[in-house]
Amino acid sequence: MSSLIIIVIIVAILLALGSGLIGLTRGGSAGSDKMFRSLVVRVALSLFLFGLLMLSGYMGWIEPNVVIMDGTIDK
Amino acid sequence: MTTATASHDTHHGPEKGLMRWVKTTNHKDIGTLYLWFAFSMLLIGGALAMGIRMELLQPGLQLMEPQFFNQLTTMHGLIMVFGAIMPAFVGLGNWLIPMMVGAPDMALPRMNNWSFWILPFAGGLLLSTFFMEGGAPAFGWTFYAPLSTTFAPDSTDFFIFAVHLLGFSSIMGAINIIATVLNMRAPAMKLMDMPLFVWTWLITSFLLIGAMPVLAGAVTMMLTDRNFGTAFFDATGGGDPVMFQHIFWFFGHPEVYIMILPAFGVVSHIIPTFSRKPLFGYSSMVYATASIAFLSYIVWAHHMFLTGMPVAGELYFMYATMLIAVPTGVKVFNWISTMWRGSMTFETPMLWAISFVFLFTIGGFSGLMLGIAPADIQYHDTYFVVAHFHYVLVTGALWSIIAATFYWLPKWTGKMYNESLAKIHFWWAVISVNVLFFPQHFLGLAGMPRRIPDYSLQFADFNFISSIGGFAFGASFILFTYIVFDCIRNGKPAAARPWEGAKGLEWTLAPKAQYHSFNTPPSRELIESESQHS
Amino acid sequence: MSEKQYYIPEGTYWPIIGSIGITTLLVGFANQMHGVSWGSSVMVLGFAITVFMLFGWLGQVVNESVNGKYNDQVDRSFRWGMSWFIFSEVMFFAAFFGALFYARTLSVPWLGGADNNVFTPELWNGFSASWQQIAFSTPGTVLQSGTAISIPTELVAATGLPALNTILLLLSGVTLTFAHHALRVDKRNHVVGWLIATIALGVAFLGFQVVEYGHAYATGLKLTSGIYGSTFYMLTGFHGFHVSLGVIMLTVILFRVQKGHFSSDNHFAFEGVAWYWHFVDVVWLGLFVFVYWV
Repeated sequence: MSSLIIIVIIVAILLALGSGLIGLTRGGSAGSDKMFRSLVVRVALSLFLFGLLMLSGYMGWIEPNVVIMDGTIDK
Repeated sequence: MTTATASHDTHHGPEKGLMRWVKTTNHKDIGTLYLWFAFSMLLIGGALAMGIRMELLQPGLQLMEPQFFNQLTTMHGLIMVFGAIMPAFVGLGNWLIPMMVGAPDMALPRMNNWSFWILPFAGGLLLSTFFMEGGAPAFGWTFYAPLSTTFAPDSTDFFIFAVHLLGFSSIMGAINIIATVLNMRAPAMKLMDMPLFVWTWLITSFLLIGAMPVLAGAVTMMLTDRNFGTAFFDATGGGDPVMFQHIFWFFGHPEVYIMILPAFGVVSHIIPTFSRKPLFGYSSMVYATASIAFLSYIVWAHHMFLTGMPVAGELYFMYATMLIAVPTGVKVFNWISTMWRGSMTFETPMLWAISFVFLFTIGGFSGLMLGIAPADIQYHDTYFVVAHFHYVLVTGALWSIIAATFYWLPKWTGKMYNESLAKIHFWWAVISVNVLFFPQHFLGLAGMPRRIPDYSLQFADFNFISSIGGFAFGASFILFTYIVFDCIRNGKPAAARPWEGAKGLEWTLAPKAQYHSFNTPPSRELIESESQHS
Repeated sequence: MSEKQYYIPEGTYWPIIGSIGITTLLVGFANQMHGVSWGSSVMVLGFAITVFMLFGWLGQVVNESVNGKYNDQVDRSFRWGMSWFIFSEVMFFAAFFGALFYARTLSVPWLGGADNNVFTPELWNGFSASWQQIAFSTPGTVLQSGTAISIPTELVAATGLPALNTILLLLSGVTLTFAHHALRVDKRNHVVGWLIATIALGVAFLGFQVVEYGHAYATGLKLTSGIYGSTFYMLTGFHGFHVSLGVIMLTVILFRVQKGHFSSDNHFAFEGVAWYWHFVDVVWLGLFVFVYWV
């Protein structure tokens, strides 16, 4: 569940970044505004995601990546 | 020093001397360089194919060691795909797209120069592997791990770098075409006014930018597996050789459409011209091209039905593959409907275009057969596959390039080629190519494996026929070379619009298109009267 | 329309110099890998030619741009070119992320017997299909390339240096946004300050990354540590390479800001580099999440 939330936020970050790229491509003052706004959104979301990650790790909602994966074989 | 600003010097011509070709930022010069490069690579790759057919003329080892035979098949594939077909289409795109969208040149001319001038170096790097210790790469053009990692000669590292360079060049070419179409297009031309060659190239560019970096990633992993002890494709370290095939074909399947979509575009120009009718179903052609491009990204594992995959995966990739037949069918029926009740004439470009429709469809159908997962168990890695992709790439992609050459040669040179010689060349090529590749269907269905220098006796007759066809087809390019040179040297002056039914902005230019195509954007009236749809 | 006139740049030798440089670099590299004595010197020569080309070519473009030769259309062509170049970079990283996901969710569990429940224990006695410690329990294993697998004695922890580096890079995104804002409201002094902060954070990130690599190598996590080591180093390595490029580009932009090349409504080079930096930043976030956590 928590990994799902994390992935959703990552997708949102990618969308903001992509929208910034569209602004960059468009150019002019409208494009420039769009790019700047998207990038602000992406920075804010990234900071939020990092905080969430640290919190989830601290609270034990997610585990870092060391899980043994061949559980099926011995049982 | 002169500044080559098209606006304040409309008669600005090419620089003098050889350095013109090195420094040039002109789309026509660069297109010409691309086309000549592609043609020389075609001849080199063709010479390798002659070696292959010579060895296969009779059963038994005739001329060469099996290892050298493998080098020939590998290098033939790589040279033809990356050296001949792709650069030829980029050359056509360079020459034609600025003229077709009413622009003076490409959007990023210096980068355009670089994307060509990387090619001779990359090609040289690739060819140099023949002269290295251990010989050229011999693992097939698909370079599957571990053949290309653990068991490959040292020259493989040079091959890897050649692929990096070729990919870099293709990506720059694609970026340039996107920027040209979207930014240099005449302001009065809407997207749905664009000729189909422009549309298909625009969509191909997206395929190139999506697929070529993945190939770069794959060969980079190969490089580190070979030299730095990584384990991407090595099960001992937790990697997987099958993963190589997934990454390779994620590039490889879009690559197939990279080589055929511009061909669709070329044919969609020639058939309306000689049928003297507007293209049937213009917008459906555009949507079909886009659908094919989208589907090409999600069907890659149909090349891997026999490498191990869950049944659900096999079913998904089979059905998704079948789906591609729908937009492709739309295209074929549109071409036929364009010809329907047209006042058709059969000049050389039209002959090539019609035989394209016919022979490409054969290749498409054998592709459908291969896409059926249970049947593929029989066909996989046999000569049936060889016959299939040669029908698609030789009588498909290469056919359209030759058709384009005859169709636009008057615009490139201002002169007319020799029509009767060109017709002889066409019939020679179209008969010999079928003698060459059609028997390979039978060989494959009977079980002859591909990439094999020797074969069982029951395959002898068809191989003999196929080889004879191969030699004849190879020889047809001597005539082709003569026709092109003859046109450049002795051709009669051509009209600005040498084909009666031809439409398109390129025909409004001088008979030999001027150095900078459109210095002022064409008007809305001109664009409408030259548009492909009714 | 502001662009009644089309602009076509004059020819230069930079492209052919670039081709020569890159080819020299690659030929040298390949020979160096094969243990040929002149390999590394040819490689350095090729690198020098390539750098010379980059400075020469881009310098010429900057000059032409400053001298007002370019019009709006050229500006848009550069924007399109830059955007799609970055997209091709995204696809390049996608290949390596794809390898990471494929190995972690498919091939490593398969090696551990998932899906068929038979093969692997018979093939390799004591093989353990765990992600970070692939082949932990099979000391002495040799890869097909003949390299001995290096077995790490310690796992990479997600907290500690990686978390610190994430903070550094995220903060650099914040400072860059401030610089961007300052440029948009024409406060050049602020732009310079925030840019210097961004560059400093980027350099600090690279420094800590070197420390992290040193630590990992000391505990035996190397390129030769199986698929985990391979994906870890290739992803972070290519990312570090891009951060280095970004730092160099930001430095160039810093000098250009000081020279007054940009105005509040015309600063494509700044925007392009800024977006590149944000892209590199997001790639790291993806790395941090997928390599260390999810």
